[in-house]
Amino acid sequence: MNPIEVEHLRREFKTHIGVIRRKAKTVVAVDDISFAVSPGELFGLLGPNGAGKTTTVKMLTTLLIPSGGTARVLGHDVDRDPEPIRKRIGFIFGGERGLYWRLSGIDNLRYFASLYHVEPAVARKRIAYLLELVGLGDRGKEKVEGYSRGMMQRLHIARTLLHDPEVLFLDEPTIGLDPVGARELRHVVRDLQAERKTILLTTHYMFEADALCQRVAVINKGRIIAMDTPQALKGHVSDLSVVEVEVFGLPPDVLERVRGMPFVDTVSLENLDSRQWMRVQTRRGAEAVPDLMAAMSGLRVGRVVVREPTLEDAYVRLVGGEA
Amino acid sequence: MRALAINVRLFMEGALLSYVALFSWLQPVAYLASKVFMPLVQILFWTMLGTFATGRANASFFIIGNAVQLAAVNGIYGVTMSVGGDRWAGTLPYLFGTPANRLAMFSGRAFMHVIDGMLTVVMGLAWGVLLLGLDFSQANLVGLALAILITTFSTSGLGLLLGCVGLVSIETMFINNTAYVGLLIFSGANIPLAALPGWMQSISWALPLTRGIAASRALIDGASLGSVLPLLGGEVLLGAVYVLLGYSLFRWVERQAKRSGKLEGF
Amino acid sequence: MNAADWRHNARVALAAFDVTLRMNAPDAFVLFTILVQPLAIAVLAMFMLVARGAANALFVVVGSGMTGLWSALLFMGGNSINWERWTGTLELMVGQPTPISVIIFGKNLAIVVLSMLSMVGSYIFAALVFHQSLAIQQPLLFVMSLGFTVIAYVTFGLVIAPVFLLSRTVQQFQNAMEFPIYMLCGFLFPIALLPGWTTPFSYILAPYWAARALHGTTTGAATLSEVVLCWGMMMALAAAYLFLSHWLTRIVLHKARADASLRLE
Repeated sequence: MNPIEVEHLRREFKTHIGVIRRKAKTVVAVDDISFAVSPGELFGLLGPNGAGKTTTVKMLTTLLIPSGGTARVLGHDVDRDPEPIRKRIGFIFGGERGLYWRLSGIDNLRYFASLYHVEPAVARKRIAYLLELVGLGDRGKEKVEGYSRGMMQRLHIARTLLHDPEVLFLDEPTIGLDPVGARELRHVVRDLQAERKTILLTTHYMFEADALCQRVAVINKGRIIAMDTPQALKGHVSDLSVVEVEVFGLPPDVLERVRGMPFVDTVSLENLDSRQWMRVQTRRGAEAVPDLMAAMSGLRVGRVVVREPTLEDAYVRLVGGEA
Repeated sequence: MRALAINVRLFMEGALLSYVALFSWLQPVAYLASKVFMPLVQILFWTMLGTFATGRANASFFIIGNAVQLAAVNGIYGVTMSVGGDRWAGTLPYLFGTPANRLAMFSGRAFMHVIDGMLTVVMGLAWGVLLLGLDFSQANLVGLALAILITTFSTSGLGLLLGCVGLVSIETMFINNTAYVGLLIFSGANIPLAALPGWMQSISWALPLTRGIAASRALIDGASLGSVLPLLGGEVLLGAVYVLLGYSLFRWVERQAKRSGKLEGF
Repeated sequence: MNAADWRHNARVALAAFDVTLRMNAPDAFVLFTILVQPLAIAVLAMFMLVARGAANALFVVVGSGMTGLWSALLFMGGNSINWERWTGTLELMVGQPTPISVIIFGKNLAIVVLSMLSMVGSYIFAALVFHQSLAIQQPLLFVMSLGFTVIAYVTFGLVIAPVFLLSRTVQQFQNAMEFPIYMLCGFLFPIALLPGWTTPFSYILAPYWAARALHGTTTGAATLSEVVLCWGMMMALAAAYLFLSHWLTRIVLHKARADASLRLE
């Protein structure tokens, strides 16, 4: 039995639009997804914001009832049989909410330890150990209201490990963290993986999924559009090269023209302060450069780089340049 | 002349703004709860306690007292909210930065609450007539309308002062709530002033509401406007004093904030 | 539930009790609700009831204390689930294995115990300022009645919290719900003053029986059988409230999981 089994899972939200004439509108957040995570696996759910990652995690953690399909965690149905699941899983949602700011870090952990039925004697040792693990060993007695965002997120990690859960759901655990904090957090996740915990991690950072996950499902607009190991996903683009062009003020019609060129596979655009990076995936490699330049004649162009594709490029290709 | 026009506009804008703010926290059901139901239960409770203590014959004493006391709900909560609201929205620094006449801006903010407060008092009296048999046959209606207007104005003056205290303290709600129950004790709405010890009576006369409640009772009982003029005059004066105190405190806060450069802290 | 479950739940309730006390003790709103307002009510009632004679001092102490108890339960207990939503912890509360009612029970217990200060405050005030002799006529029965009062209030609070979560309309009447209960439960004047049709409402409110027991035992006016009747009614109503709240909480949480309202967006 796999710890996480998802079949044709679906979730709709009804929202109202308009102030005076309110119209009900149904939005499909998760649309017929299926996957399974095997014991001890670190599985990544990768997708842009609003792709349906958090909705999926909320259904798996019994916080949201599916509109259709089934999801089983540790053999129990998330809708009909949530209680046994809750005892054996841990979850965090990125961000700083969800802690009692007027209490110290230790008091927060103590409270959650009792909610999770951890015996007081065990809890005491475990809290000390976990605070060290997440690097809050000397700050545990301070009130949470004085914590930085990164500290709160690390306290959340400690909180979710109190009862030594078998399955962990980490929803965007590094969101909003500075690069150092994010790197430390990834170390913690890697350590957990070494303890053979089953982990489902969501992220919209490609390199994070590449660095941590054994398998990745790419999710976009509520659907899984690819699912494989990071290596195999890179294989999707192994026949392509990437031409990166630094350009100043790219007009939309030029972008469209480039998109329409026969040798161009996918184009993505990254906006920086005064310039843009246009990334063109193409089978022609460096030979594509003269044609691209011709299409952009009259524009101020900076650096031009031709390189091998990365997992990020595979991702960009899968979501159609929208990442 | 131009200055006057600018100040009138400031006044109107302030009135409009706080009116809009008022109705954003008062959606229909909430309005019903706080403007119709709340006055009823408050008047009922104190009137019943009063008649339990002193007999049915005194019911009108408690009905009128607690109905007029309702002016303080708007005067205190409404006005402090529209003054203190600046701090919550983080707009106070901008306000300090404008050359606008603070007094015009200020009274504009309180204006709508005076209107709304009068409505609340009328609602309270209507409940008294409908459910508790309050006798309005002798009432001097014109005089009563004036008394209600003046009382609402004076409690709004207190509200302006409290609102400015709220700018320097973080416990705005605690101050408001305490002021409200304090008025309930001192205003004579439920305890005849003569029953209070001398030092408490002195406080009563220094607070808004006291004279307004006394005048309203007399006017409903059929007294002439002339006979309550001293009471109403005193209430107007007292209201003006509170407005000025609030205004001075506001200017002081503004000066302190500018001097210490801690505008954002407010 | 087996023995281990009971032990866990008791521990959770205790932890919720502890956390609630520590988070609310320094709060100005709490200070107002359980001390300032009941004291103001006590002062008012004391002056107003002077006409009825000095024997009313203890009546006022108990009655005003009960108002503090109810207001605290109404505002703090009533919002206990909503409060978790505002803090962003409601998802964690739902996603953990202990029934959420156990947590709310612990919280309400803390609120009710903390609000006992209302009565203590009024008592000290009446003794110091009004120089009243405040001898409780049936101290043993009074203390036992206090114990039943705690249970009555805590279980009553369990019903309010899911109702406020279920209906925003009801919640908007929260501020207006202090006085009706003061009246219906006879905190400061007998319910005989109210119209007859309200009496059944009083009877299904456990705080009414609590007030009746506490008033009766302080003045010594109540016979033992009357006090026992009050205790029995409190227990019966507490059982009914437990049942009702269990059912309501299930509905509310299921609804929240269905329409995704656990989180405040």
